[in-house]
Amino acid sequence: MKSSLKLFCLAALIGCSLLTASNAFAAETIKVGIVDTYSGPASTYTNDVRDAFALEVNKINAAGGIFGQQVEFVTRDSKFKVDLGMSAAKELVMREEVDILMGTINSALALAISDFAKQEKLPFLATFAKSAKITGEKGHRYVFSMNENTTMIGKAAATGLAKLPYTTYWIAGDDYEYGHAVADGVWENLKKLKPEVRLLGQSWWKVGEPDFTPYITAMLAEEPDAVIIATGGRDCVPFLKAAQTTGFNKLVPFYMHTATEISTLKPLGLTAPEGVIGTANYHSYYPDTAENRAFVAEFEKAYDRTPAVGALYGYITAQFISKAYAKAGEVDTEKFIDALEGLSVDSPVGTVTMRAEDHQIMLPMFMGVTTKVEGQQVLVASDIVTISAEDAMPSLEEIRKARQL
Amino acid sequence: MELHTGLSFSVLCIQILVGLSKATILFIVASGLTLILGVLRIPNLAHGSLYMIGAFTTYSIATVFSQSSLGFWMALLLAPLLVALIGLIMEQGLFRFLYKRDHLMMLLFTFSFTLVFGDLVKLVWGSDYRSLAVPEIFQGSLSLLGMPFPRYNLFLLLLGPVFAAGLWFLTNRTLLGKVSRAAAVDREMVGAVGINVNRIYAAVFVLGCYLAGIGGALVAPTQNISQGMDHSIIIEIFLIVIIGGLGNVWGALLGAVIFGLTDAIGILVAPQFGIIFPYLAVITVLIFRPKGLLKSIW
Repeated sequence: MKSSLKLFCLAALIGCSLLTASNAFAAETIKVGIVDTYSGPASTYTNDVRDAFALEVNKINAAGGIFGQQVEFVTRDSKFKVDLGMSAAKELVMREEVDILMGTINSALALAISDFAKQEKLPFLATFAKSAKITGEKGHRYVFSMNENTTMIGKAAATGLAKLPYTTYWIAGDDYEYGHAVADGVWENLKKLKPEVRLLGQSWWKVGEPDFTPYITAMLAEEPDAVIIATGGRDCVPFLKAAQTTGFNKLVPFYMHTATEISTLKPLGLTAPEGVIGTANYHSYYPDTAENRAFVAEFEKAYDRTPAVGALYGYITAQFISKAYAKAGEVDTEKFIDALEGLSVDSPVGTVTMRAEDHQIMLPMFMGVTTKVEGQQVLVASDIVTISAEDAMPSLEEIRKARQL
Repeated sequence: MELHTGLSFSVLCIQILVGLSKATILFIVASGLTLILGVLRIPNLAHGSLYMIGAFTTYSIATVFSQSSLGFWMALLLAPLLVALIGLIMEQGLFRFLYKRDHLMMLLFTFSFTLVFGDLVKLVWGSDYRSLAVPEIFQGSLSLLGMPFPRYNLFLLLLGPVFAAGLWFLTNRTLLGKVSRAAAVDREMVGAVGINVNRIYAAVFVLGCYLAGIGGALVAPTQNISQGMDHSIIIEIFLIVIIGGLGNVWGALLGAVIFGLTDAIGILVAPQFGIIFPYLAVITVLIFRPKGLLKSIW
């Protein structure tokens, strides 16, 4: 062989061995790929998921990792777009060779990634997306939901509202899938629990509606006992602002999911309306357990802000990943999934379990009323009623019907 | 579809007033668009973007004064001037050379400005929504006929006729107004008479942008100041200008009133489909009067 050819073969051999060597290094870590919206207004919510996840992963790694392997995670910004998110998910699987996919606040993207994960036979842990389809009609073996969905919101809210003395209702909200899903969820369940309730009518405005005044006036004219407001993340704050300006909250009691959450109340400060009934999955001050207090203290120390519900999702996701691998005994996808089914972890809201049948996490819901507290700049929820996870979950019968099994 | 016809008179009155207060902002912005369209023959798609820049600038200026009442008034004064300045730069820098061009070309140019301004706003202010507090004197609501009527809406309601009167005075009683109307009809003749048509065009364009800026400033306390504002308003004001009559300021007023009222009444009568009523009204008008309700310059 000519010497230049020999040199080339040697170089190629070394190159190949380096490549395989780097692959070997990659196999030494457990990689999680997070696709989510980190730009724009949705990032207020998603930053908490990532930051709490990071905190927990650091703790896990400091304690030696999982089977001696460090847990690593990478994030990709989908900018709330499905096509960008899908390319990012594909890149994470093909190039970064992640073991687990995680994300996203955009339900349409979550469903698309779920489909992709099913094809790739890779676990996908959905965080923040609230569509009931994720573990309902589009559920499958490789997708798990780490947060509440619209069915659970509906059931929990109905359980709480059924105890209140209101019989005639008005429904109003954002005219898109999430708004209608929440409204339908609340109303169907409320009718079941309290058959004497009557719906006087409905109003639907476009997402991003600039002026709620005509809608508020129209609702006041109808004189319902209470109103169910089904707004998505974007319109919650502006609607509460309009309610405060028109005094709507003082004239008619109304319910809105996340009205009692810090993410909604913080931007409004002391101008937030009082007396609004809201449901939330996490409060930094309730339940006032040692676990919750420790969680809040750690988060505040690391990030200089109070954790919101996203932090809960990030925290439990990390806990579930760690415990499921430990239970599985090795870094194997199928064993991981089997271990994750039915697994319970401790969390700031108590012990939470991943329901085996539909891969939906069982989270309790807290219903409260917005109240001003002496000395605080942000309103809090008072008279909190806990709706247990069991009461809020869709029945297995409903899941089977949805998946047409 | 549920129709709520057992309405009390007071509710109807309040809803009409709410609709008219919304119409004020639509009228102010649409009048700017129709002036530019009528005199300069430019369909200014960037009008919505200028409105959005007006809103964001109002937020920034007001925040400098920690969102106090003083901050709002300062912003109301200064933000439209900034938008007018941007308009001047646009006109002198680009449009001045393009008046002889095809209308479609002008539409495309202004559309490209929409895209540029959209990204510029994202660059300067980021993509988060902003929220501006309503100035203190306008906070809360009055009880009108037993229903709450926000004070700020009352302010807008009273402002509408003021602007209408002001614009009437401008177009009918001032030299600029009269010359602009002449230039809208026959540009060459105006030039032949010895008037500097370029100056007139620049003045009208700047005035139109100023109006867009004021519209943005006025709307700032009422809603989330966000990225999509330009897209949603431009559709509404274009429709208003079309149904009112191209280039006709009174047409813009009529169109805005129709839009605001049908929106408000629609919400009252059939709240499930409240969104569609203004557009149904537009379709109805165009079926019967395709050139618009009032005389069109074109």
